[in-house]
Amino acid sequence: MTTATLRAGRTRPFGRVSGLRHVITPVILCGVLFALYAWISAQNLDSIESRSLTREFLLAKAVEHVQLTFLATALVVVVAIPLGVVASRARNRLIAPVILTVANLGQAIPCIGLLVLCTFLLGVGFQTALVGLVAYAVLPVLRNTMVGVQQVDPALIEAARGMGMTRGQVLRRVELKLAVPAILAGLRTALVLTVGVATLGAFVAAGGFGELIINGLKLNRMPVTIVGAVLTACIAFFIDWLSGLAEDLLKPRGI
Amino acid sequence: MNFSEYVVSRWDTLSLAAAEHALVVGIAIGVSTAVGIGIGLLTHDLPKVRGLSLAISAAILTVPSLALLTLLIPITGLGWGSTLVALTAYAFLPIIRNTVAGLRGVDAAMVEAGRGMGMGRARVLLKVRLPLAWPLILTGVRVATQMLIGIAAIAAYVDGPGLGTQIFEGLSRLGSVNALNATLAGTLGIVVIAVLFDLFFFAVRQLTIPRGLRVRP
Repeated sequence: MTTATLRAGRTRPFGRVSGLRHVITPVILCGVLFALYAWISAQNLDSIESRSLTREFLLAKAVEHVQLTFLATALVVVVAIPLGVVASRARNRLIAPVILTVANLGQAIPCIGLLVLCTFLLGVGFQTALVGLVAYAVLPVLRNTMVGVQQVDPALIEAARGMGMTRGQVLRRVELKLAVPAILAGLRTALVLTVGVATLGAFVAAGGFGELIINGLKLNRMPVTIVGAVLTACIAFFIDWLSGLAEDLLKPRGI
Repeated sequence: MNFSEYVVSRWDTLSLAAAEHALVVGIAIGVSTAVGIGIGLLTHDLPKVRGLSLAISAAILTVPSLALLTLLIPITGLGWGSTLVALTAYAFLPIIRNTVAGLRGVDAAMVEAGRGMGMGRARVLLKVRLPLAWPLILTGVRVATQMLIGIAAIAAYVDGPGLGTQIFEGLSRLGSVNALNATLAGTLGIVVIAVLFDLFFFAVRQLTIPRGLRVRP
């Protein structure tokens, strides 16, 4: 069940030809952005549209979006990875199935529902979106870390113990090192998840590109909506690409 | 008005929204299961096409749902159309990937045995590989369904059907009497639907997995 679920999670279909993928994504993104710019330049914008599509406004939204994404991811990493390691310890054997169940069920809670419920507790604003995003992304990362550490071959741990390492040394030098791919995959999941959900942050007045989409829909200005949607998609692809790059660079050699 | 009173008094609206939510997810998952398994069956043996289909479905999943839903408005309009197209597109990755992984993961000895019994390629695929891959495929469909149930909530913003309407109603009436009740009803209703779908897949799993696979070595 666990491995099956993990296999059903995100992986990179381009695995082996990663060099190619690292070039293709930015090229396509540049092309899309250029096409978007050309299309908007050719449009006859009315005053509402031209006011929402200024360089300063778009830049501000981009900064908000990226800030929200990275801050949420950083918090998720700080919370979820240590907890995942703790949960993977043999003496916490009883917690693991609970975490897996809660993580699976937690996925069923719609992120927009979670965000709006957070609003009732904390009011609208950046912090609310941050809390909602962290709550949403913690469980998948925790589960990945836990499973990653647990999947380390017991024979390797046995060998390390036999070499005279203490439990702490085994954890630091063997288990965590071997779990790095799983942890990085979890980190990447968190990033891609939060960059998508950060779009919804606009509903609780946390800014980001979602604001363009929502404003465009509310004012019935399709160009604004489309710019917002395309930029949101581009930033998601860009962050996915960035984390794929980081994954390849940070992976310990020999794995 | 407390939460239970709210649910009782709005039962008609809520049950209709819940039924629509389940329906839209059900249709989308049905279509993408049929298409996804088909793509998996056709491409699992062709590395290039397989890589391409996986890359495209992964790219679709990377697009944030609000963005995809709004980008579909000029093409499929507001409401059911965009919702169905977006949900179907999002479900492809887990289904195609698990189908491919399942079909390729079948023990070569089993395939050899099938061939030795005089089965052709197509028959081996349908009679040996597919049944053995079925548990993994079913897991993919289940994961996709859980994901779609959550995404369908966002579709309410582009006038899609379902319990998401309750959540957005709560958001737009923030601070008024029933705002919290509406949001809670929408969110909890979606969780209930997710649990019911999970039970459904558990039952399907029990009923459709070949008996030989359930024997534990």
